[in-house]
Amino acid sequence: MNDFESEIEHELRRVLGQLDNAPVPPRRTVRSQSTRMRALVGGAGAALTLKVLSGVAVAAAAVTMAGATTTGSLDPTVWGQQVKERVADCKAKLADGQHGIGDCVSSFASQHGRDVASAARQHGQDNPNAHGGNPNADDHAKDKVHPTPRGRSGVEPEPTDAAGGHPPVRVTPQP
Amino acid sequence: MESIDAGKSDLAAARPAVETYVPGSTADFERLYRNTYRRILGTLITLVRDQATAEDCAQETFERAYRSWGAWKPDAPAEAWLHRIAINVAISDRRHQRLRQAGELVRRLGRPPHGPDPSVMAERSDLVRAMKKLPTKQAAALVLRHYHGYSNREIAAALGVPEQTVASRLAAARKQLQAVLPR
Repeated sequence: MNDFESEIEHELRRVLGQLDNAPVPPRRTVRSQSTRMRALVGGAGAALTLKVLSGVAVAAAAVTMAGATTTGSLDPTVWGQQVKERVADCKAKLADGQHGIGDCVSSFASQHGRDVASAARQHGQDNPNAHGGNPNADDHAKDKVHPTPRGRSGVEPEPTDAAGGHPPVRVTPQP
Repeated sequence: MESIDAGKSDLAAARPAVETYVPGSTADFERLYRNTYRRILGTLITLVRDQATAEDCAQETFERAYRSWGAWKPDAPAEAWLHRIAINVAISDRRHQRLRQAGELVRRLGRPPHGPDPSVMAERSDLVRAMKKLPTKQAAALVLRHYHGYSNREIAAALGVPEQTVASRLAAARKQLQAVLPR
C-alpha cells in the first residue's frame, strides 16, 4: 500500500469511525402488500377512485346529452329514420344520369344541427331554472327533452319523436 | 498496475466476526440490522449527498433486504449482500437526487439539533467530498476497500463483478482523487 492509499484509509477511518458510537435508529418497517392495497382502497386512493368514477359518469352524461341535442331526441333511431328518409328523397330527386347524393344529405344534416342547437339555446333562455334552480321539473316538462330511458314502464310516457314534438326541419332543395 | 491486495492493512482483522443468520428469520434480520447499520451508513455517507440522504438510503437498503430476506443464501456474507443492495440504492438516489431536493430541505430544517454529527465531519472532509463526485461504483469500491477492509476478491463477490473490474474501478478512483485532492 502506498502513501496515498494510507492517507485515504486514515481519513476514512477518522471521518467514518465516529459512526461506531452513533445510536442505531429503529428499523423502518416494511409495509406489506395488503397494507399497500388498503392504502390504495382507503384514504387518498379512495378519493382518487371516486374522482375517476365521477369523471367517467360526467363524460357519459355529456355524450348522452350531446346526442340528444343533435337529434332532438334521446332515441338515436329517430335521427336514423330521418336520415334514411332524406337519402331516399335525395335519390328520387337525382336526374337521370346524375350520381352522388352527398351534398344533398350533408345540407340536410347541417341544417338540422343548426335548428336543434338554436332550439336548445332558446329553451335555455326561457327556463333560467332549468339547471337545478327548481327541482319540480313538471313546470317545464313540455319544453324539455325527456330523459326517461327506453323500455322503462311507469306513469311517464315513452319518449318518442312524434310529429309536432320535434322542431320542424326545413329542407331546401339543392340548386 | 500494482497489486492492491498485497498491501492489505489490518482493516480486515478489525472487521466484526462473521455471524450466522437464518434466511427468513425476523429475529435474525433484526440482529443483522443492529450489527451492520452503522457500517452500511458509513458506506452510504461517502456515496450520497448528505447525512439525511444516507440515513434514508440505509433504511431503504434494509427494506429491500428484508423483502428478499427469505431468499438470501448464506453462502455469501450477509454484510456483503447488504453492501451490494446499498450501492444500488445509492445509484438510484443519485439519479433521483434533483427531484428530492425540496423534500430534503424540509426534512433537514425540521431535524432537531443533537450531539456531534458524524456527517458534519464527513461533509467537511475533502476526501469525502471528492468521493461523492466520483462515479458511485468507483467510490463504493474505494470505501469497501479502504474503510471496510474487503479484499478485491470479496468486493467482486459482493458486487457480482469480475475482480479485474474492481481493480479498474479502484485505480480510476485513486487517479481521480489524486488529481483533485490537495497534497
